[in-house]
Amino acid sequence: MAARSVARRAAGTVVHRATIVFFLAFAVFPFYWMVVTSFKQNADLYVGATNVAHNPFIFNLPPTLDHLRILFGQTLYLTWLRNTLVVGLLVVSITLLLAVPAGYSLARLTGRWGERLSIGIFLTYLVPSTLLFIPFSRLVSLLGLQNSLWSLVIIYPTFTVPFCTWLLMGFFKGLPKEIEESAMVDGCSRAGAIWRIVLPLAVPGLLTVVIFALTLVIQEFVYSLTFISSVQRMTVSVGVPVALVRGDVYYWGSLMAACLVTSVPIAIVYSFFLDRFIAGFTVGAIK
Amino acid sequence: MNTTTVSAAPVLHAGQTIRRADRRLGVFMLAPALLYITLLVALPFLLALFLSLTNSSAGSLEFSFVGLQNFKNVVASPVFRRALRNTFVFTFVSQAAVMVLGNVLARALMRPFFGKTLARFVILMPWAAPISLATLGWLWIFDSTFSVINWLLKVVGWLGPGQWYYWLGDTTLGMVAIITIHVWRMLPFSTVILLAGLTSIPNEVREASAIDGAGTLARIFQIEIPMMRPILTVAVLFGVVFTFTDMSVVYLLTRGGPYNSTHVLASLAFQDGVLGGDVGRGAAVAIFLVPVLVVLAIVMLRSSRRAEVV
Amino acid sequence: MQTRRQFVVRGTKLVAVGAVAAAAGPTIFVRDAKADGQLKILQWSHFVPAYDKWFDPWAKEWGAKRGVNVTVDHVGFADVVPRATAEVAAQSGHDVHMFLGLASAFEEHVIDLADVVAALEKKYGKQVELAHRSTYNPFTKKQFALSDMWVPDPGNYHKEVWSKIGMENGPSTYDDLVKAAPEIKKVAPQMQIPIGVGLSQDIDSNMAVRNILWCHGGSIQDKDGNVVLNSPETLRALEYTKKLYSVGMTQAVLSWNAASNNQAFNAQETAYILNSISAYRTAQDNKLPVLANYFFTPALKGPTGTQLASEHVMSGYVVWKFSKSQDLAKELLVALVDASRDSMLGSKLYNFPSFFGAAAEPNTPLNRKQESGAAWIAAQCNKDPFGSTPPDKLALLAKSLPWSTNLGYPGFANPAEGEIFDTYVLTDMFAKAATGALSPKDAMAEASTRAKQIFDKWRQKKMVPGGGKDK
Repeated sequence: MAARSVARRAAGTVVHRATIVFFLAFAVFPFYWMVVTSFKQNADLYVGATNVAHNPFIFNLPPTLDHLRILFGQTLYLTWLRNTLVVGLLVVSITLLLAVPAGYSLARLTGRWGERLSIGIFLTYLVPSTLLFIPFSRLVSLLGLQNSLWSLVIIYPTFTVPFCTWLLMGFFKGLPKEIEESAMVDGCSRAGAIWRIVLPLAVPGLLTVVIFALTLVIQEFVYSLTFISSVQRMTVSVGVPVALVRGDVYYWGSLMAACLVTSVPIAIVYSFFLDRFIAGFTVGAIK
Repeated sequence: MNTTTVSAAPVLHAGQTIRRADRRLGVFMLAPALLYITLLVALPFLLALFLSLTNSSAGSLEFSFVGLQNFKNVVASPVFRRALRNTFVFTFVSQAAVMVLGNVLARALMRPFFGKTLARFVILMPWAAPISLATLGWLWIFDSTFSVINWLLKVVGWLGPGQWYYWLGDTTLGMVAIITIHVWRMLPFSTVILLAGLTSIPNEVREASAIDGAGTLARIFQIEIPMMRPILTVAVLFGVVFTFTDMSVVYLLTRGGPYNSTHVLASLAFQDGVLGGDVGRGAAVAIFLVPVLVVLAIVMLRSSRRAEVV
Repeated sequence: MQTRRQFVVRGTKLVAVGAVAAAAGPTIFVRDAKADGQLKILQWSHFVPAYDKWFDPWAKEWGAKRGVNVTVDHVGFADVVPRATAEVAAQSGHDVHMFLGLASAFEEHVIDLADVVAALEKKYGKQVELAHRSTYNPFTKKQFALSDMWVPDPGNYHKEVWSKIGMENGPSTYDDLVKAAPEIKKVAPQMQIPIGVGLSQDIDSNMAVRNILWCHGGSIQDKDGNVVLNSPETLRALEYTKKLYSVGMTQAVLSWNAASNNQAFNAQETAYILNSISAYRTAQDNKLPVLANYFFTPALKGPTGTQLASEHVMSGYVVWKFSKSQDLAKELLVALVDASRDSMLGSKLYNFPSFFGAAAEPNTPLNRKQESGAAWIAAQCNKDPFGSTPPDKLALLAKSLPWSTNLGYPGFANPAEGEIFDTYVLTDMFAKAATGALSPKDAMAEASTRAKQIFDKWRQKKMVPGGGKDK
């Protein structure tokens, strides 16, 4: 009896570990592939997969730094990274500035019509960028912002603000009302209560919004592709393909290196905030 | 709900004035966001609706009205109908897969094991990677000549001599590839949400059901899943929204090929409207996304709220 | 669980980063000063990267001599059209925009360059016919673009493999491909795709399927702009492709992007592709093993002997109506044609001058200039300055003009042809017929309906002729 249950537990553990390994492999494989590709010599890289003897998982020729050298030396990758970050941080600031008060207002101050409005606001996130593209081109030129990163700073909140307002609204609803109310009883104004009591409590929600908006900005490429033309002002998601896909040549090694170098820091930041992120998202989303 | 008696009296006393001040403050706080959205989303959206009734080319604002001609042409086009179908297929298949796999993974992650922190980090990576760059990585993995997947299948003997999978050259395999990327990308996100849901179920509930003699499966389906309904709804809602509106995966991976059979509405709208220069037609295609999303979002928001009340 | 204090600290850090970013902002967000002495050019990222290294300094230097600040921006070839769409919608952006043969769709938005062409013809003699047909709309009588160069599209074949099956000079007819495919499978079983003619949604395939269509006597439009896709000739081309696909190709060709056929050929996974010499230059740059067997053949002949291939790239420089430096832009275009020799060498013989006369020896009389230019071009091809073995490997390029033609053949390139090209109507038809997704008849009917819709739309705008004799 005891032996059997031990065996069963062991079997359960094996299944559990196998499950974990399977998912790890699925998640990590493209990244592993990026690493391998980034450091392989071209002669090792471009061998057809029909050649069973040539194992693509390992380095059949000594690894090379050529692709990284191309990425950092012959393209403006670092500039694009900086541009993306600057745009990202400005968009995040604008998003917070607009979405935090709006989210709070919808959660606490507007009653029933606020709820309807909040659905309306969320829906604007769903308007496809292909539809907005033409009107935005006009707007950008009216403002004289073509080929300027400011155009992205102005346009990107069109998808971050609706989403984040909605997220934050849920998050504020999740906080107990009594907290502000008791502060107000103590002589604090509503605004003061929000500033001193509510916002510090809402930090997990705010962090969620920051990370989330940042990811949306980094991966956007339709607007970036069409509003920015100078290579020095491109963002990563546009600059990388433009410089490294040259019509009929893909610089696979450098491309994969770029994907890797961009993704990994974000992933690290994410994991750092993982617990807050979960809290922010779930509380925010279901309320 | 359970306001303390101490604070209740003064609040009631000052109720009227606070509420009026609140309302003013509410409008004041909402106005900037609302103004921004109206100016930069609502108005352009109306302009786009308007363009779908014209023969505007290459984004110029010189055009003439063609009424519903764009819509008629679009609806009659087999490529469009295919794209409409694909949009649904991609969304539902990938979300179904994400829900099943996400539940499995979240349960696995609940148990303690060596290296759990690292495992969580790794599993989260696909969600953190910018999708346009990650898709390039997949493009390389699915390459018709250099696909590492095929090499693997060849080595293990799944693919015999002369057999080959052309991932992006076959409609079915192309759809599989696109769905794989969507699953890969959304799985971490849903897992994280589901994990939160699972963690929030009190241990007593589980223990109680175990005492009642409920099996594991019964426990999952009769107790845990109903309890997690709000959170499942959230995971599905976001998954659907991201998959449904995404054009980067299709645009970068298959460009809608082979023979325009893997397009989704968003990528087809881009091909017709921006690449082909027929702005009116592109707008007409994209507009079909809107009613579907509206219905979807309202239904799901409603159901999540109801679940919360129950 | 972290304390609230930790969060506040982290939040403060984040704000600090934001503030730094905002401070750094102004240095990045510099807007271009709007000066008259300013010319902005949008170019593709050339398929032969060496060309950009020639063009950018050349344009800058040209500007410097005139006290003009010239900016050159490059985008990927697939982004040329979306960018143009955005700039037209915005009514601002670059002054000069380079298209790859599809400028016709933007005719309404560009200025007439008839005077530029007239000046150049006075200087160098006539431009090649396919360049004329790609940049002029006879219906509206507008010279909407200027072509400084075009690129031949020969066949690339693997000499060793083709020698083994007794065709050491590669295929010369479409029929040869069908006959050779099973033989290639026998002598080179490791090759994945014996014949690599693309049928996917990309630029190379778009050219390839047109070649097949024309060589079988079919075309989208007739010379007067009537849609004649619905024809027995088209059907024959589709039946042919279906056969070729079944004996010599795989689904790979349905998924190819512009890089794939190069990669496949350079990895020795296919024995025949249709491509310009950029793939060859890549093989050279990387010293790939395929190099010794990398050879070229002229366009293939159809069943009735028709031998035609679309140009691989046709440059079409336009000057936007919204440009404030139109005269300067025109001057630049003239200068670019003046530099035809350098342009051809800068692109490692990828670019062929549209004005042959511009490559002539200096001081040649006008009536001898075209001849002299052709001789210089032939001299380059016969002895590749960029190191081919044998040195005359590219000699056939010098003789490619007779079998090269324009998109829109037998008519002119027009906006409708451009839109059909950009939305892959033809590759769609060919791929569906080849794979059996639709019968050739149904595929043809579907494509023909779409083609007529597109032509009708542009006829309503009075930019495309014909319509009376649509089939």
